[in-house]
Formats: sequence, structure tokens, C-alpha cells
Amino acid sequence: MTESVDTQEPLVRIRGLRFSRGNRVIFDGVDIDIPRGKVTAIMGPSGTGKTTLLKLIGGQLRPSAGTIHVDGQDIHRLGNRALYQLRMRMGMLFQSGALLTDINVFDNVAYPLREHTDLSPSMIRKLVLLKLEAVGLRGARDLMPSELSGGMARRVALARAMVLDPMMIMYDEPFTGQDPISMGILVELIRALNDASRLSSIIVSHDVQETAAIADLVYVISDGKVIESGPPEAMMNSDTEWTRQFMQGLADGPVPFHYPAAALEQDLLEASC
Amino acid sequence: MLDSLARLGRVGIGVLERLGRGHLLLLAIFVGLPDLLPRLGLLLRQIYSVGVLSVLIISVSGLFVGMVLGLQGYYILSQFGAEQTLGVMVAASLVRELGPVVAALLFAGRAGSALTAEIGLMKATEQLSGLEMMAVDPVRRVLTPRFFAGFISMPLLAALFSALGVLGGYFVGGGLLGVDDGAFWAQMQAKIDLHEDVYNGVIKSFVFGLVCTWIALFQGYDCVPTSEGVSRATTRTVVHSSLAVLGLDFILTALMFGE
Repeated sequence: MTESVDTQEPLVRIRGLRFSRGNRVIFDGVDIDIPRGKVTAIMGPSGTGKTTLLKLIGGQLRPSAGTIHVDGQDIHRLGNRALYQLRMRMGMLFQSGALLTDINVFDNVAYPLREHTDLSPSMIRKLVLLKLEAVGLRGARDLMPSELSGGMARRVALARAMVLDPMMIMYDEPFTGQDPISMGILVELIRALNDASRLSSIIVSHDVQETAAIADLVYVISDGKVIESGPPEAMMNSDTEWTRQFMQGLADGPVPFHYPAAALEQDLLEASC
Repeated sequence: MLDSLARLGRVGIGVLERLGRGHLLLLAIFVGLPDLLPRLGLLLRQIYSVGVLSVLIISVSGLFVGMVLGLQGYYILSQFGAEQTLGVMVAASLVRELGPVVAALLFAGRAGSALTAEIGLMKATEQLSGLEMMAVDPVRRVLTPRFFAGFISMPLLAALFSALGVLGGYFVGGGLLGVDDGAFWAQMQAKIDLHEDVYNGVIKSFVFGLVCTWIALFQGYDCVPTSEGVSRATTRTVVHSSLAVLGLDFILTALMFGE
């Protein structure tokens, strides 16, 4: 794999990012640095565009303004070939796992190797079994995706994302809908894989406790802007009321419990007219 | 008034945008062809799924359509004492028109809708995005093999439909209604022209195969990635394919057989 341009530079540098869907502004001048070798969490309430941010970093969406540099390359200025070369060094774990449903676990993990390398079948077999061993699913290699639980599917997807030994892995809501055991396994796996494989990880999540437990750096975004960033402990005790409400899961605060509406009395009186 | 004009304009722009996206997708599918040649296994798997699995419905339908043609043709021709030409009537109807057209309508209903649902669900479950992030072009790996499988399978299915239709017509005419066997086959052999009838039918079935598979793949690839979106796209595939087949049949017939 290609060596990084400058190991002191952030792996991902986002500057002045703007992105809209129709009339709705998703990002309005966002600046984010994702350091190398760390676990960086992007957190925020549902619907703030966290998954969209990952798609922008992966070059699947184009911003209306601003730049995203990944390993020193402006991802939205790359040609198709260069973009695909760069993506080979970026793994992504989708919320649904995104496993190919017509092939089994082994073939899913082997898929990137068969597509991008000339390795012999026996070497591919060894690599796939090692990656499956790392996520604890070597014994499930012959199962079809439909036979896996949600947690197992994500672990298989993680093995697939790692199989080309990428420089970074992006996790899209990895803990959503997981039972406590699967969640615990995933939390430990993400941290252990990041450290053992010298990866850089980006976790997009709104599961505060789990994400804060393994993150080195947290960005909190809302209303298209970065509200605050820093180590998780500092964010938990932030001076900013909004950040404290989100990190501590308080029902009311700067983000109101009620969706904007007319006064209750007025609504009730109108209904009785 | 101005609002209505603006709405009309928006609809027109929307249609043009979709047409543009559809043609760009078709171009990308053809550009992916050289990549498919070293991976013929992918193509064969899709020919099985799109073509072989459609054989039953095509065979049964062809047989029954041929039997009905034999029955109806016999009643009309016998009024003019021309029942011995039943073979020509059945074969010409099937090879020129009914074979390609009905096979294409059945193909759109069975294989086209399945293709749209499959691609739409792959989009909804992020499998296509997953391929992109694995640095694999989903158009080349997923759509190109399916497109050429449909393009190859459709003429073969239309030929099967026509062949079984002729057998069905023979079974009713020769077997049940007493048309002379020799006359049935000899008249057919004498009057059906390889270029005029058979080749034109084959050209039609290639065109229908291309259009039906293209529509099915585009609808799946362009659908809103929700269960409702996939359902709507599947319906659109059947409706658009059927209309396209019938409209194109008229145009091709006029071009091929018009004076």
C-alpha cells in the first residue's frame, strides 16, 4: 500500500464544507481534522448528516463548497481511477453491514481480495480465515448473510473492510440496534483493531457512552456546524450547554423536548371549535 | 396559469433528466463490456437467472398461444376453404409478431421485474454503496452482466416461444381438427421466408431484449431506496417495458414490412 504523504498531517482534513439536499442545508462551513492512528468520533443527534459526512469523505457525494483532503489528496478532484485507488485504502462499515446477500461469509470477505489482487486461492483462504478469526467468526465462514444476526453481520463486514489492510476505517452507526453482548464485542473490536493494525478510525454515532469509551477525539455536530470538539472526558463536562445536554442525554435544554408548535391551549381551543 | 406552466416545465425537466440518466447508465454498461469478457462466469450465472428460469413460463405460454392460433385460424380459414394454409398463418403470426412481442411482455413481467427488485434492494441495503467503497464499480460488476444476459436470453426465449407455438398450432390443427400434416408443414416451409419473416423477428427480439433489460436495470438503479420506492420501480418496469415493446413493435413493423 502507498505510504502516507506526511505523517504529521491529519489523515482527513475538511475545510469550509457545505452540502445541501434541495433547500435543506446539511453542512454549513464545517472544519474537521481526523488525526492519524486515533479513534475519532463524529457525534450528533439523528438527522444531522453524520452518514452524509462519511459519504462525502468517501467521495460518494460531492460538496457544494469546501474541500476534503484524504491522505493529502483532494478526494473530489480525483479522477475515477485515482479515486478507486484511494478507496482501496479506505474501509467502510455500513450500518446494515452491506454484505452481498447472494454469496456466503467467506466469499464476502474474500471479495475485495479477488477483485484487487492476484493472490493465489490458498493465500486468499489464509487471509480470509485470519480476518474472520480476528472478529471471532472463523466458524461461520460457510453461513449465508441471511443466517447471521445483526451483530454477526457487522463483524463480517468489519472483517471485509479490513481485508485489504486499509489506512482507515469509517464506521457508520456501528452500535445501533445491537444487544449488549454484540455491542460490547464491537466496542472492544474497534479499539483493538485500531491499535493492533495501526489504523485510523472514524466512528459516526449517537451512542454516547459506547463511543466516548473508545474515542480519542470527539466532534459534536448539529444544525450543519461543529458545535465543539475535544477529548471525550472534556466533552462530558463541557461548558457549552448544548454539548452537555447531548453527551449526558438530558431530555430538555437548548435542544427543546417539543417540536416547534403553537401553544397547547390554542391548539386545544381550535380543536373544540 | 403561470403556476401550471411552471409545474409542466418541472415535469418536463424531470423527464429529460431521467432520460439523460438512463442513457448515461446505458453508456456506462457498454463501457463495462471489456471488463465482463474475462468474467464469463458472472454472465452465465445471470443468463441462468434471467433466461433459464424464464423458460417454463415462455414454453407454456407459447404452446397455448399456438393452440389458440390454430383454433381461431382454422375457423376463419375453413370459411374460405383455405384450412390447409393453417401452418403458414400460425408460423407467420408467431415468427413475425407474437413470438417477439408476447415473449418480451412475459420477459418484462418475470425477468424485468425481478431485475428491478434485485437492484433496488441492493441499493436499499447499501450493497451498491458497499461495492463502491470497496473500489468496485457496481455498474460493471452488477449491471453489465445482467444487461447482456437479458440481451442474449430474450431472442432465445422468443425463438422458443415461436417454436412451441407452432407445435401447439400443429397439435390443434393437425391433431384435432383434421388439417393434413403434409400440407401444414409444406405450406409453412414454402411461404415462410428466412429473411423477411425469421430474421426480422429475431431483430425485433434483440431490440425488445435490449429495451426491457435496460428499463429494468435503470428503474432498479435509479429507484428511491425504500420498500415503497422499490415497489414503485418494479411496477414502472412492467408498465414502461410493455408500452415500449408495443410502441417499438409498431415502428419496427412499419420499417420492416412497410412499402
